[in-house]
Amino acid sequence: MAIQKVIYKKLLPLTTLFIFLLCAGYSQKVVRYDLYVKDTLVAFAGKEKRAIAVNGQIPMPTLSFTEGDTAEIHVHNLLKEETSLHWHGLFLPNKEDGVPNLTQMPIKPGTTHIYRFPIIQHGTHWYHSHSGLQEQIGMYGSMILNKRSADIEKRKDVDGLPTVPLILSEWTNYKPDNVHRMLHNATDWFALKKNAVQSYGEAIGAGHFKTKLRNEWKRMLAMDVSDVYYDKILMNGKPESVIDTVDGKKLKAGDKVRLRISNGAASSYFWLRYAGGKITVVANDGNDVVPVEVDRLIIAVSETYDIVLNIPAEGTAYELLATTEDRTNSASVYIGSGIKQLISPLPRLKYFEGMKMMNDMMKMNGDLDDMGMNMSLNQMDMNVVMYPEITGEVKPKQKEDDPNRYNANALSDIVTLNYAMLKAPEKTTLPDVPVKVLQFELTGNMNRYVWSMNNKVVSETDKILVKKGENLRLLIYNGSMMRHPMHLHGHDFRVLNGQGEYAPLKNVIDIMPMETDTLEFNANVEGDWFFHCHILYHMMSGMGRVFSYKDQQPNPLILNPKLAQRKLFADDRKMHFMFQNDVATNGNDGEMMLQNTRWSIGTEWRLGYNDMHGYETETHIGRYIGKMQWLMPFIGFDWRYRKMGLHAEEKNMFGQSNTKDNRAVISAGLNYTLPMLVRFQGEIFTDGIVRLQLMREDIPLTKRLRFAFMVNTDKEYMTGLHYIFSRALAVRTHYDSDMGFGAGFTFAY
Amino acid sequence: MKSFILLAFAALFTNNIAFAQIDNSVTVSAKIYGNCGMCKNSIEKAADKKKISKAIWDKDTKLANITYNSTKTSLDAVLKDIALAGYDNQSFLAPDDAYNKLPECCKYKRENKQPAVAQTLQPAPSSHENHEEHNQSKQDNTIKSTNQLTAVFDSYFTLKDALVKTDGNQASVKAKELKTAIEAVKMDKLGMDVHTVWMKLVNGLTEDAEHINETKDIAHQRDHFMRLSKNMYELMKVSKTSAPVYYQFCPMANNGKGANWLSREAGIKNPYYGAQMLTCGKTVETIQQ
Repeated sequence: MAIQKVIYKKLLPLTTLFIFLLCAGYSQKVVRYDLYVKDTLVAFAGKEKRAIAVNGQIPMPTLSFTEGDTAEIHVHNLLKEETSLHWHGLFLPNKEDGVPNLTQMPIKPGTTHIYRFPIIQHGTHWYHSHSGLQEQIGMYGSMILNKRSADIEKRKDVDGLPTVPLILSEWTNYKPDNVHRMLHNATDWFALKKNAVQSYGEAIGAGHFKTKLRNEWKRMLAMDVSDVYYDKILMNGKPESVIDTVDGKKLKAGDKVRLRISNGAASSYFWLRYAGGKITVVANDGNDVVPVEVDRLIIAVSETYDIVLNIPAEGTAYELLATTEDRTNSASVYIGSGIKQLISPLPRLKYFEGMKMMNDMMKMNGDLDDMGMNMSLNQMDMNVVMYPEITGEVKPKQKEDDPNRYNANALSDIVTLNYAMLKAPEKTTLPDVPVKVLQFELTGNMNRYVWSMNNKVVSETDKILVKKGENLRLLIYNGSMMRHPMHLHGHDFRVLNGQGEYAPLKNVIDIMPMETDTLEFNANVEGDWFFHCHILYHMMSGMGRVFSYKDQQPNPLILNPKLAQRKLFADDRKMHFMFQNDVATNGNDGEMMLQNTRWSIGTEWRLGYNDMHGYETETHIGRYIGKMQWLMPFIGFDWRYRKMGLHAEEKNMFGQSNTKDNRAVISAGLNYTLPMLVRFQGEIFTDGIVRLQLMREDIPLTKRLRFAFMVNTDKEYMTGLHYIFSRALAVRTHYDSDMGFGAGFTFAY
Repeated sequence: MKSFILLAFAALFTNNIAFAQIDNSVTVSAKIYGNCGMCKNSIEKAADKKKISKAIWDKDTKLANITYNSTKTSLDAVLKDIALAGYDNQSFLAPDDAYNKLPECCKYKRENKQPAVAQTLQPAPSSHENHEEHNQSKQDNTIKSTNQLTAVFDSYFTLKDALVKTDGNQASVKAKELKTAIEAVKMDKLGMDVHTVWMKLVNGLTEDAEHINETKDIAHQRDHFMRLSKNMYELMKVSKTSAPVYYQFCPMANNGKGANWLSREAGIKNPYYGAQMLTCGKTVETIQQ
């Protein structure tokens, strides 16, 4: 009896284990991929440039799994730099999430890292590098999680269709680091390339002089709907391609095709339009939605949409056109075989109408005013005032007080998708547990390219602690002038969009300026989860937060949490360098600056060619204050040497005299940006002298011509013009009260 | 001697001007549809890219000699630009709106544009497999009738869309498609109930479609669209539609007597007024399967 008991006791767990293993072996297929990450050269836009290829290809290979599989992905880093891979939209253990210095340490050059996690969901997802700016130069790919065959039967009219994954991306011939640096230095080179400078000359030509004046009065630089100019747009790595066969079967008239589209671009939104009729949206961010027919949709950075397209006629391939939001570039894929039926490109944006709209929305203190419209879910698109296909070619026809004046679907017969039209096929309600409400304002300022949440960047904030099991409700208001696709790692959230219990599930939500959206999710997986804007350059500027579960197990991959945090924070603390020097007939002057979110270290110099003209430098170290960063107090150091001869002494406007011949002083002062973007500088030096100064250097007269002026209480003044030849070179002529008239070249970096 | 060298230089120079316009040039002949001298101008303008491509089009042969720099562009890129200007060619069909914007004399016959076919039906969910036999056959019947009438409904909706856009030309074209679709319906394959209604309505439907087709006067087309919509409504009520259809009503149409139409979208897009009063009206009934 006793023996029997012992055997029983010993055997039972063994058998259970055996049965468990058997089950596991049966349903849990391990699917392994080996990814070799390597430097490569590509020529997407004419010139050979560095890119990163995985297994020799861009985009990275499509990874497919079926719900219930276990994914095992071996990442071999053959680069000379660190890397990582993030599985966008996937539910997985935190240490597999692939955010370097947060959920794991970066994958060092020459090493291999293994990601291993069960696939517990289905849908269209994608994966990308989360290290630096690697995503911009090739590290993005589709990740398709198929349904179990029993689930396919339930929605056979969609899931049984021929299916093709498509990943969108963009290419620039500039190094992404350089793009990032240029953005932080408020370059208008990209606007110039896009023909979107919106200068005074162009404004007068379009009858919008007052609009431009009012815009600058409100301290706005010319706005565009996107920041970066790209040379090429790619779909599955090609600007143009044909899909005429799927799984070896030729497509024919009457067929339907399902495209699983991911936006793997670093900073571009795309309009999707189809030459063969309506687009049926069947899933979003990997979650099924009740099919909805539209004429067009915009896919935000990092979103995914599954769409179904018809092939209406025989012998014809129909164009699916992906156009960047700024409409400067596009990519096409032709669905079907035969002669290619085109769709018209989107007409150019009416920039000055957009400027006028921004003027109306912007208060003098930099806050936005939605004039009581309560915008949300992309239903009201302020940008429609710029869309000729909606609001007409010339003057907008809608009235000032029309409640629908920004509602694209009410203004025209073109049906544009918005989030309120998405409905989950099944109930998505959360468990009935306590709700924690968090409010965020998306903040930022284009002039200095600072992007933040509640006016703080990642390195300036603590992790947000959440309790496992509770529900989180996020109220997010976008108070900045750009739209932001906000992405949450490791969870799907419900978007409260008026569909009640059938609110759609997403993991990215695009929030337009002045919109407020409400999201909620159940905190059900421990870990440190990143929540951030998915525009790569906004993320790297610190626009994000980390949700961290209370009392969680330490992450075994983060051995030194302090070091990891410092490295994570280094991203948005990075200093951006700029340099400019003018070599002219009357002297040599220039400046260089190092700047980050709050700090600025800058040196200016004016070097004459003889002692009479003199030599001087000013160095300022300052900190930007406030949301709009118009105010910057600083401390400075000035040095000057000059031999004047006669009039050796000069008096300033306050009657203080100053030899200026050999002067080395320390100062305290402040910069303030006045309306019309004029920079006021007040400074008091250790020798008691006070100097007040007004200046502006970049007044856009025409697309390429800029006007500059400076005047101060030392009775010095300068006025000049420069013409921009290329990104680095301009011709400049100016008159300086010290140095006289001069002409020369300006080099900028 | 001196003047000879000068001459040689001059010759070289002019030579350059004459031939250096397009480097690495390739010239090919391509078919481009069009009618008249106006078409010639637009086609050649669309192909003309400084130092990159140009075309000379012959309106009799419909052939264009296209010269392009093969390192900077391709034949297809040039043909795409021509198609975007409204001209079908061997590789591309022009967008419909670009074609519609062409001047009347340029509206060539679109030989390469194929008519739309009815959509292939998706396999029915397999959960219905174990139904009893007569149930099965009834279901088949329904599918057949839906299938047959899909093309009729589809062309009705595209006709409606043309009227929403106040596009008389397009409406005429779509009415023709509707007429073709009506004629293609095989009555004996319709279910019993649908068959009866069809018999009653078919003459009226055909007549209205014909009238809309024959004119490009939008007011006249809209008059006929009222009765057409009424008949279509009766037909949709009895036959099965795959997606919900909205029966909508504008009280201002028909000189204040009001008129109805059908739409697949819940939002109001008024076919009787178009942009003039696009959102006038409301949904009075939703036809579900």
